[in-house]
Amino acid sequence: MMNIISACNVILSARKDAVLVATMGSMVAMDTLGAQQPRVSSVPLMGGAPGLGLGLALAHPERKVIVVDGDASLLMQLGNLVTVASNRPANLYHFLICNGTQFSGMSNLPVPGRARTDYCAMARAAGYTDALEFSQEDKFSSAIQEILNGNGPRFISLNVEPDPPKFSAQSPQQDWSDLQFTRMHNEARALSKWLAEKSLVAA
Amino acid sequence: MTSKPNFNIPASHYVDALRRNGIDYFVTVPDWVQLALHLRIEAGEPGITNVPCCNEEQAVAVAAGLWMGGKKPIVVVQNQGMHACINSIRTVGNDVRAPIVFLIGQFGREFANFGQDPTESRRSTVRYLEPVLHAMDIRSWRLESEEDMPKFDEAFRYAWTESRPAALLVGAPTGWN
Repeated sequence: MMNIISACNVILSARKDAVLVATMGSMVAMDTLGAQQPRVSSVPLMGGAPGLGLGLALAHPERKVIVVDGDASLLMQLGNLVTVASNRPANLYHFLICNGTQFSGMSNLPVPGRARTDYCAMARAAGYTDALEFSQEDKFSSAIQEILNGNGPRFISLNVEPDPPKFSAQSPQQDWSDLQFTRMHNEARALSKWLAEKSLVAA
Repeated sequence: MTSKPNFNIPASHYVDALRRNGIDYFVTVPDWVQLALHLRIEAGEPGITNVPCCNEEQAVAVAAGLWMGGKKPIVVVQNQGMHACINSIRTVGNDVRAPIVFLIGQFGREFANFGQDPTESRRSTVRYLEPVLHAMDIRSWRLESEEDMPKFDEAFRYAWTESRPAALLVGAPTGWN
């Protein structure tokens, strides 16, 4: 099974200049992998990534938008599947990091419905054009380009092994960095500027 | 003898105000108070795209994405929806400072309260709306009669000049004219 870094690395390898909207674990993985503009993080805002991606996709139909969501985040706003599908953004690709845990890599609390919930079936039923599931990196890697060449909204569920939990009595929680609470403000403005400049060049 | 104020601001005046302020996306979870406006937008208003959402948190996120993409959305919800999406507004409105203007219907406001202070309504969803907005440092303007419509433009000027969220409170059912 993939881990979150290998899954995100496959997405980045095919991303080109697509707008990237990541949240929580995928945001950290994308940071680790050095993902640059155009991107914005939904933080601290679990459940917000699909909506942000939809707004960006509607505003820029000429540009692909990649949302990298998490299972616990999607469950907080499951109606997002219907909100996205009903607005029919052909340029939106909704990836789901499915590790079955909340506070993954910290305490790994089980997500409700773990191992029983079929997110692809939900996405298809909501009206996504397609929904695919991958557990193996090589198979996902072989399919990624074709996925991004197709018309959205497409949904891709990625089964990943959660990182081992790091918190314990011997290793309790530390304070959050201020960056967790300020980065979305800065990233939103930087992305807005980047998109405006690209639009000017295209015109 | 003074004439009775008309609390039902025509939907056509709201459409005019949307156009005057350059709104291109109408992001919404429908509001009972603004049904006449919703039906006009649903029927199609050139240049204004209707974006229906399943709940208000999603509407706030979609509006933020549109703003980042260079568009000028308005979020149209009712007071219960505003109460339901405080966390999204905290992030997107207060932390990110996206200039999102909310058009919020005072659902459930008893007609006897028209012309009175909504914070004295006997219905909690009405009574708490302004205090909640105030607690979140969100400026609000009451739209109680046609004479208040210049406040619509004032709220947009404020939001886009200060890069802050703003709330317009629709006090009574929108007129069907």
